[in-house]
Amino acid sequence: MTHLEVENLASDYLEGQLDGGRQAAFEAHLEGCGPCRELLAGVRHALELCREAERLEPRPWLIHKILLATVGEPKPGWGERLGQFFRPVLQPRVAYPIAMSVFTFSMLVNAAGLNLRHLRLEDLDPRTWVERVNRQGHLVYARAEKFCYDLRVVYDMESRWKQLRRQPQVQQEERPSTPAGGSSLQAVPDPTMAERAPEGGFRSEGGRSQMP
Amino acid sequence: MDQDGEWIRGCLAGESAAWESLLKTYTRKIYNLCYRFTGKVEDADDLTQEVFVKVFQTLRSFDHAQGSFSTWLHRVARNHLVDHYRRTRKDRMTTSLEDDAGRAEQHPSPAAGPTALLEARERREQLQRALDQLSPDLREAVVLRDFEDLDYAEIAQVLGVPAGTVKSRINRGRLELARVLKRMEGM
Repeated sequence: MTHLEVENLASDYLEGQLDGGRQAAFEAHLEGCGPCRELLAGVRHALELCREAERLEPRPWLIHKILLATVGEPKPGWGERLGQFFRPVLQPRVAYPIAMSVFTFSMLVNAAGLNLRHLRLEDLDPRTWVERVNRQGHLVYARAEKFCYDLRVVYDMESRWKQLRRQPQVQQEERPSTPAGGSSLQAVPDPTMAERAPEGGFRSEGGRSQMP
Repeated sequence: MDQDGEWIRGCLAGESAAWESLLKTYTRKIYNLCYRFTGKVEDADDLTQEVFVKVFQTLRSFDHAQGSFSTWLHRVARNHLVDHYRRTRKDRMTTSLEDDAGRAEQHPSPAAGPTALLEARERREQLQRALDQLSPDLREAVVLRDFEDLDYAEIAQVLGVPAGTVKSRINRGRLELARVLKRMEGM
């Protein structure tokens, strides 16, 4: 391989594009040729410098400048326009009262029994609103009253039921214990009671009490 | 259809957002190409803007079937740079090579130390000066291959010459660049 051939194939060699035979011939020439080795080292160095060279960043205003020169001032889209229009409204001090107004209005509409999908002319009359609200208020009051009454009845029944269930237990507790070996429906008179009777103002004769 | 194709369709439909996206994607590439050709930041700014104005005006002539948008854009830029080179030939003859102190005024990386920055700047300036000494044909071939990383077929499309010529120019350009750099380092 001649010096000229080495020069012509330098890039192919450095990019690894030479086939096996030519690459061997190229390397054989390099081994015995100092100037060609030096030349190749120079080209390799230049290539490295080029590939390592950092990319410059265009100045930040360049894109804006090009945009101005081509499409002019960028026009805001519909979304941006709407955003700009509603920006003051979206502040909390405005948004909160608006939300509360909407809430109140919806409550009133609900209380007035208005169907916004099927509005009639009479629905727009404030007197109708007042009447409906009044009626609605009375209905609510009546329902609440009935509910309270029902609750009271339920509690009353419950307490009576509990009382009735408790009563037999009390009677059993109050009944004296029966002696073993016989029934005695008639209570045996207590001698102490007989003694005490005159003091209490009552006299017991055969189980019956008499007024003094 | 690829992203470029969608943006181009958007541009042709008058969507400025699509044009902006296209600009954001390719401005850096074209800016670097212009800088490598002129060696001056101010010229690179102006030329990049002119290239994109031209692209905006001629976007309808882009045919996807004839190659990628990137190749077409490089061709437009290259033609504009050649025109600029011819226009400013007289000016260049009267301008001294040393009269470009601010040519590589870049945005320094805050992470690099001052010594590293200085060395990098010197290397960059030396490389740019060496590139400036190449003939335009060789320079554009080397820049497109070794800086812009285009393949031979793309460079052939951009320059409008056969692939063999591209290969030969790139090789001669690299040899010449190596000689110039060696000469400069020996000075």
